[in-house]
Amino acid sequence: MKSGCRDLEKALRGDAPELRTAFEEHAASCPACARELAEWAQISAAGPALKKRWASPELWPAIRQQLAEQSQRPRVSRAGFFSRALPGFAIASLFVLASAGLWVFRNSRGREPLTSSWQTTKDPLLTERAVDEVEAAEKQYLDSIDKLSKLAEPRLASATSPVMLNYREKLALLDSAIADLKSGIEENRFNTHLRRELLAMYREKQQTLQNLMKEVPS
Amino acid sequence: MKSIAANILGSVADAEDAVQETFLKVYRGASGFRGGASPTTWIYRILVNTCYDQIRRRTRRAEAPLPTKVALASSGESDHPLRLALEAELRRLPASERAAFLLCEVEGFTHREAAEILDVPEATSRTFLFRARRRLQESLRATGAFAPAEASS
Repeated sequence: MKSGCRDLEKALRGDAPELRTAFEEHAASCPACARELAEWAQISAAGPALKKRWASPELWPAIRQQLAEQSQRPRVSRAGFFSRALPGFAIASLFVLASAGLWVFRNSRGREPLTSSWQTTKDPLLTERAVDEVEAAEKQYLDSIDKLSKLAEPRLASATSPVMLNYREKLALLDSAIADLKSGIEENRFNTHLRRELLAMYREKQQTLQNLMKEVPS
Repeated sequence: MKSIAANILGSVADAEDAVQETFLKVYRGASGFRGGASPTTWIYRILVNTCYDQIRRRTRRAEAPLPTKVALASSGESDHPLRLALEAELRRLPASERAAFLLCEVEGFTHREAAEILDVPEATSRTFLFRARRRLQESLRATGAFAPAEASS
């Protein structure tokens, strides 16, 4: 393909890579076009240096606080019962914000059914048998997450794109939420709400890892 | 997220406010997300819109204009003259072109992702970016910000 000065705009738009190559060949013998390309390249090279980075130690706690307040509002009448679970709510909400994972949670077609005794119970505390069933469900998620994590690890380790960095950030948030919920459950392993939140976290982590694998195939 | 907000809004405090507001909007609107875009681009779209809402509010309140220089640590090695000039000229671009430039050239999004974030067709996003570069090139050339050796090579 031959190219000339008239192709400058098309070449710079970058719609057709082959035209760009032909134009670069032309520019090698055309000082005016060479200057255009050089200036264009300087702008592109300087772009990434505009990325800002600064520490915001108060930002995430502030967001967490606001989310906790948000999640508390509709539960005013049940505040007594849920008050202990609020830290879990806040972190759970944080992950939802970071990932829009709530949508996945609410709309997941492949959602695994929980035990009927747990889903229908009106008692806020689980029975011993129900806890066993929930723990079995948690173990299934953990096994699946372990396998997916091993596969995803190399992809995450070499992540440079914004999408992959977002995945890494989201997974870190999920891990933080999971750790927080687990510590709440250690205090009371019969707490239905915390158990439900923990399963939601596991489900979201599993889904995130699956999405990551689809996004970056090996 | 903070980076793009800071580049649009021009201040650390405003950027953090925008990120915070974005997360709350995502939280409130999570159930309305139907998967037309990826969650990442959906969140960034909310962020970009939030930033422009902030600017509109600021304009309505007739506050001081956007600062032309932002006291932020950037990822660049130093305050290179071209980078400083680019940052200043970027603020003079129309909002859509500035956003396209920030998303593609600064944050590293693809055209497809930038188009999703800006909620425009991919060809339009490419046009925004092309125009942004063109305007920047003209301004930087006028101010003599380009490296002479490279410009003539």
